[in-house]
Amino acid sequence: MEIKKLAESLNPAERKVARVLDDINSFDEIIKATGLKDVEVMRALQWLQNKNIVRIKESQKEVVSLDENGIKYLKYGLPEAIFLENVEKTVSMGELGKKTNLSSEELAISLGVLKSKAAIEIRKDKDIIVSITEHGRQILKNGFAEQQFLKESFPKEINMLRGEEKLALENLKKRKKIVKVELKKTIAAELTETGKKLLKEKFDDDMIERLSPSMLKSGSWKGKRFRRFDVKVNVPGIFAGRKQHYRRFLDEIRQKFVALGFREMSGPIVETYFWDMDALFMPQFHSARDIHQGYYIKEPKYAKDLPEDKIKNVKSAHESGFGTGSKGWRYEFDAKRTHRHILRTHDTSISARTLASKDLKIPGKYFQISRCFRYDIVDATHLSDFNQVGGFVIEEGINFGHLKSLLRMFAEEFADAKEIRIVPSYFPFTEPSAQLMVRHPDIGWIELGGSGIFRPEMVKPLIGKEVPVIAWGVGLDRLAMFKLGIKDIRQLFSHDLEFLRNAKVI
Amino acid sequence: MPTITFSLKDLQNLAGKKLKIEEVHDFAIYGKAEVEAYDGETDEIKINFEDTNLPYLWSVEGFARLLKGILRLHKGIPEIKISKGDYQVVVDKSIMKDRPFITCFAAKGRKIDDYLLKQIIQLQEKFCEGYGRKRQKVSIGLYSYKKIKFPLHYKAAEPESVEFVPLEFKAKMNLREILADHPKGKEYAWILDGWQKYPILMDDKNEVLSFIPIINSDFTGRLEIGDENIFFEATGTDESAVNLAANIFAYALSDRGFQIYSVEVKYPNKKIETPHLENEKILIKNEHIKQLFGLELKENEVKTLLEKAGYNFHNYKVEIPAYRHDVIHPYDVVEDIGIMYGFDKIEERPLKTFTAGSVLRMNDFTCKIREILAGLGYQEIMSGVLTNKPYLYEKMNIDDFGTIEIEDYMSETYSAVRSWILPSLMEVFSKNKHVDFPQMIFEEGVANSRKGEKIEEFERIAAAVSHEKANYTDVRQVLDCIMRLLGLHYDIEEAEHGSFIEGRAGRAIVKGRKIAYLGEISPKVLENWNLEMPVAALELNMTELFEIVEKR
Repeated sequence: MEIKKLAESLNPAERKVARVLDDINSFDEIIKATGLKDVEVMRALQWLQNKNIVRIKESQKEVVSLDENGIKYLKYGLPEAIFLENVEKTVSMGELGKKTNLSSEELAISLGVLKSKAAIEIRKDKDIIVSITEHGRQILKNGFAEQQFLKESFPKEINMLRGEEKLALENLKKRKKIVKVELKKTIAAELTETGKKLLKEKFDDDMIERLSPSMLKSGSWKGKRFRRFDVKVNVPGIFAGRKQHYRRFLDEIRQKFVALGFREMSGPIVETYFWDMDALFMPQFHSARDIHQGYYIKEPKYAKDLPEDKIKNVKSAHESGFGTGSKGWRYEFDAKRTHRHILRTHDTSISARTLASKDLKIPGKYFQISRCFRYDIVDATHLSDFNQVGGFVIEEGINFGHLKSLLRMFAEEFADAKEIRIVPSYFPFTEPSAQLMVRHPDIGWIELGGSGIFRPEMVKPLIGKEVPVIAWGVGLDRLAMFKLGIKDIRQLFSHDLEFLRNAKVI
Repeated sequence: MPTITFSLKDLQNLAGKKLKIEEVHDFAIYGKAEVEAYDGETDEIKINFEDTNLPYLWSVEGFARLLKGILRLHKGIPEIKISKGDYQVVVDKSIMKDRPFITCFAAKGRKIDDYLLKQIIQLQEKFCEGYGRKRQKVSIGLYSYKKIKFPLHYKAAEPESVEFVPLEFKAKMNLREILADHPKGKEYAWILDGWQKYPILMDDKNEVLSFIPIINSDFTGRLEIGDENIFFEATGTDESAVNLAANIFAYALSDRGFQIYSVEVKYPNKKIETPHLENEKILIKNEHIKQLFGLELKENEVKTLLEKAGYNFHNYKVEIPAYRHDVIHPYDVVEDIGIMYGFDKIEERPLKTFTAGSVLRMNDFTCKIREILAGLGYQEIMSGVLTNKPYLYEKMNIDDFGTIEIEDYMSETYSAVRSWILPSLMEVFSKNKHVDFPQMIFEEGVANSRKGEKIEEFERIAAAVSHEKANYTDVRQVLDCIMRLLGLHYDIEEAEHGSFIEGRAGRAIVKGRKIAYLGEISPKVLENWNLEMPVAALELNMTELFEIVEKR
């Protein structure tokens, strides 16, 4: 950035700080010189450093300051000074104690200190007798170096001390709680080459920091310049209010089906055996049902609002084919069991409800997106809740060829698949039954969904006549995982806010 | 959906053709199956079958038979020769009420090796567990008959009247002890729940062969490597399924080169020869093929396709092999015509009729409200519908207001259908304590509750906000915004609700209908969820609101 622009980008605090840096550089001094608060100086220095105007230097220094006894002795004098002042000629320790009010500990220390300085002489009688020396008188006249030291301004950097002061500090350090020496982080700032050039620039102190309504009203902004912002600077992140990633995917699927001419159906999640299985011509006691193992409802166990006429038809279909040319499953249909409540195991239950509805339109195209439930352990590839999309087309004269073209369209629309295969499969309610396989660019062939033509034994009891119904169902969870690039199926229902806030829009 | 394992070499021998593994992959499709794995070192193929109603395929012998048909190595239903045997099973009337059907045969002429024994046991297990409904509908026993003294007796016995040494055990146990103490007894005891007497198969010296359908005897009740003579029995509650079991095994063992001998079963009122290998017949029409597949085929083409699928065909009368009981409608046969023709080759036909598409109005409505909430800065959540009562009530400091509970749940975490949405949002907060605040979230979804014998299903939406100063105003503003955008007038009355702070909870009322709760979440509830940040929340009944909007 050229220097002029750089100068225009400085905010008031930066300008203040930059100006003083020519002469001084320690943090404390900058505070004094600018009159800013320490956090303001720190922030300004960091900004200046980001702009390559200053270099911040951090260093550690030994600093001395007064401890509790130091503060006390600054006020009242060091004990050895008080001691010596009270030795006029010769005095016993007992008398000294009374005269000075020093503690016995302080007396003992003073005795040691003064002796080592050769300021006194002692001799032992009944008590200890102290007398002052000539050198002692001299010290008394000049004052103690240690007492002088206490009067310095603290905190003080140790490497700034003169020889005499250093000696005094060494003496005081040996004693209890007079001084303390600490390591202190100090900050200094130094102008860079750019900074030095910058200071030669004239700073315009009348730049607009923020455009205000009153400026606009008065027009006072005219002729002034705006402080320049660093537009490349990083800013704190914000989060959009947004639809959940998987729910959004389901919304898109819904819109696509509508665009393809399909009418949406609905049904409850608490279903009955009747709609979930029996109406689909799945025999009540048959292994075909095991793949649909579901969750039974504890209470109420049985539904009371099932269409009894349809139950009669379905019963007849199970027992003897209901005039469809089928032998039926040839067992005694349990009409009580058909009322049993169960969580919906698959979306075909909704198709059965629609087929039996008086609102059914022939020809018609129907779809549903539904939450279904299977008895499963929850892990990276299985959920007990899962979503299916499914539906049917009902129209006279349609057959497997139409189903194939429909499946191709789905594969292209929903899985962007160019290559598909339709292979034989098995579902208890379709004949023929087929599986739609699509080629995924990375994974290879994957099963996308099941399909087939509803058995006449299913259709006739529900709508009263035989009409071809082509049907399909696709598990959406796996499809969504591919689309959303998710490896663990539980992430579809993730409770991780960070993940949800940042899930990509696709 | 059963998965079975066998060696490729064995399949090649049975099919009479040196098939490559790639070919097996391709042919599996005709059997509604998928090769899951092939290990070149052990030569082992693992294959999974979709059709739960076609158990003959759950054996390498059955699968090889299908391939021979497709490859035209045989045409139609393969021959099987049954010799008349000199064996009798007497069925006592005591068993006629609970498990009346038994079908037997004997097979001789080949030494059983380790591999074959495994194959036989595999088919037995897959059949009994799947098609046999975990032995309840059908169970199968295989014995080395040199130790058996005919005739056999199939009857019901008092639980303590009979004792024998069950498989894998050393000491004699009576039937009741077996149910209580033997691992298989414990596993299958449910089948005999409430029975006064238990099914027993004995020989003429009163030696127990099997406590049906629980466990065989350690003395006679097992096949061993080196055995050449097999005695087979299937018992059950469904005559057709019991016969099917015998037929499938008779064919499989016959394919292996065993000679099959019939057994006479003497019921109290009739005598029959088993296995009952009669092929049923069904009449199909050429137009059926057109109806399902849009194909116009000549009679000889139909004949070839059906023979490939293992049927006999004569003038549209189709004979179904005795090892299949899945054909109940002409379409079942026609599907096989389509499969043999090749689903790939069937022409695609576009749907030509125009139909208008439409979204459920309710979904359209929820979409609009979700959009408003997202616009207000709320992040949408989607949770499972299954949850548990402690989450719904205890942690929320309210009483159960009618819950749909799961009877046999797999995990207690998922043992109830949610009755409201807010607990899901509280769970989200509890899992995101370290994530940047404010946290603003919402979820729309289905909730169920129970009113006596009635189950009510609602769409509900909950929104919650959490930050240092989260308060009533936050959520009241949200409600206010939604109502304003819907053009609805609403009133608020003070509400008492354990989840909210007393005096800071409201209930919104539109046209006399209570449609929402809102307020500041009680610190007690926050504590229950281990939260340290205030939360304000609202929950709207979307179904009620939708009805109000629709009625305008």
